[in-house]
Amino acid sequence: MCASMLELKGIHAGYGEFRVLHDVNMHVDKGEIVALIGPNGAGKTTTLRTALGMTTLYEGKVFFKGEDITKVPTHKRVEKGIAMVPEGRGIFTPLTVYENLLAGAYTKRAEEKLQDSLEFVFTLFPRLKERKNQIAGTLSGGEAQMLAIARALMSRPELLLLDEPSLGLAPKIVLEVFDVIKRLREEGVTILIVEQHVKNSLETADRAYVMETGRIVLEGEARSLLKDERLKKAYLVI
Amino acid sequence: MIEPIVVVSNIIDGLLMGLLYSLVALGLSLIFGLMDIINFAHGDFVMIGAYLAWILAMNFMVDPSVTALITVPLFFVIGLAVYKAVIEPILGAEPLIQIAVTVGLGFVLQNIALAIFHAEPRSYPAPALNFGINVGPITLTAAKLVAAAVSLASLLLIHYMLTRTKFGLAIRATSANRMVAPLMGINVGKVYAVVFGLGIALTALGAALYMSWGQVNPYLGASFSLLSWVIVAMGGLGGVVGVLASGLIVGVLEALGSTFITPSARMAVVYLAFFLLLWFRPRGLFARR
Repeated sequence: MCASMLELKGIHAGYGEFRVLHDVNMHVDKGEIVALIGPNGAGKTTTLRTALGMTTLYEGKVFFKGEDITKVPTHKRVEKGIAMVPEGRGIFTPLTVYENLLAGAYTKRAEEKLQDSLEFVFTLFPRLKERKNQIAGTLSGGEAQMLAIARALMSRPELLLLDEPSLGLAPKIVLEVFDVIKRLREEGVTILIVEQHVKNSLETADRAYVMETGRIVLEGEARSLLKDERLKKAYLVI
Repeated sequence: MIEPIVVVSNIIDGLLMGLLYSLVALGLSLIFGLMDIINFAHGDFVMIGAYLAWILAMNFMVDPSVTALITVPLFFVIGLAVYKAVIEPILGAEPLIQIAVTVGLGFVLQNIALAIFHAEPRSYPAPALNFGINVGPITLTAAKLVAAAVSLASLLLIHYMLTRTKFGLAIRATSANRMVAPLMGINVGKVYAVVFGLGIALTALGAALYMSWGQVNPYLGASFSLLSWVIVAMGGLGGVVGVLASGLIVGVLEALGSTFITPSARMAVVYLAFFLLLWFRPRGLFARR
């Protein structure tokens, strides 16, 4: 049995002619929380998008639970059990909160567990239950982020990719988001998270990768990276 | 001296036509709302559909409206093929390229019709439904009543599909954010193809209903295209209800303008009203402030 949930091997990827990633190798094991950190434009979002087949791949392979999914289209990867909370949330603003959640459970596999999933996300985010019939575009930033996470969970993912889930949120809400992430790990969801809150994410994660200009420059246990002098210098935020 | 009865009968006639226009415009609206492509050939599909209804009606000696049973599924398949061959390659391209391609497609359809049928208008000589029904002092054409009823039923059915079914949810989610929709497991390519097929199928339905009393020439497409653009621009953002409301308005304006000014000025009346509306509501009737 392969314990690796996601594996990126020798990835060179970008958008059309615009190359972003250069020989990226990384893996996320079952049950782990892995953080991907680095400055703006380092290629973190592109890495997540490549895991879901949303970029131009020039070279390299993507494996999910040991299976080569390099050629599998995005919507089928979701069916297989990968979900993403995209940068900027990407909620369907003209739809109601409930319809957003329904859309999250679009795959056959997820639809069968719809009631169960609804109950789970409503216990996780009681606010969403209160606002079930509200148009999603009228939610506050924090609520919209909760909805984006809840919607991704509706697909019953084994692997959840989170792209800057705390971006633009008040500090109190940021802590709530990290609490939810820890809670999801307890539920058996494997998580790969891209974050600007380096300290918070390193404290939450098991392992971390540091990216710079499309390459992985550092990797290791999250706790030891937290003490790494180079990292401290690079990110005064710590 | 304008007689009130003439006004009333014109308004009713306009409402009936408005339902048919809404049906045709809904196809344009769905396609534009979903993939941001203005299909300039939309009206020309109505024209080809009308010829097809005419040929089938002449061959089988049935009322043209009945031929919809054949032309609608056929146009759905043609729509899928046109999507794959012509539309898919220009998704996300420069607007100018998209315009050139769909305008060109319209001209190709027009030239095919010209080459086969020449310019003289064709109509079904023995339409079963082209008789008058007297309601008090007002005479209504049975064919228009049937067309309006079928159009309304189809509009309601599509409204139900969009708001109450899983595929409808996929369409609305993709319209709202096409980058994120695949992350739900939605096959966006399939949604696009099916909606384009549906939009084209609706032109065939509108055409078959219209041929129960109308006549077709190779330039019929232009008037359906123009009316559809106005309807979508006025009410497109309001979904099926928006298209329906603005379709009825356009239908009534056209009927009144045609009777009380001159039939050749009917489009001018519709467009003048449209320009006026844009002064007061620049984003259409249903835009949220």
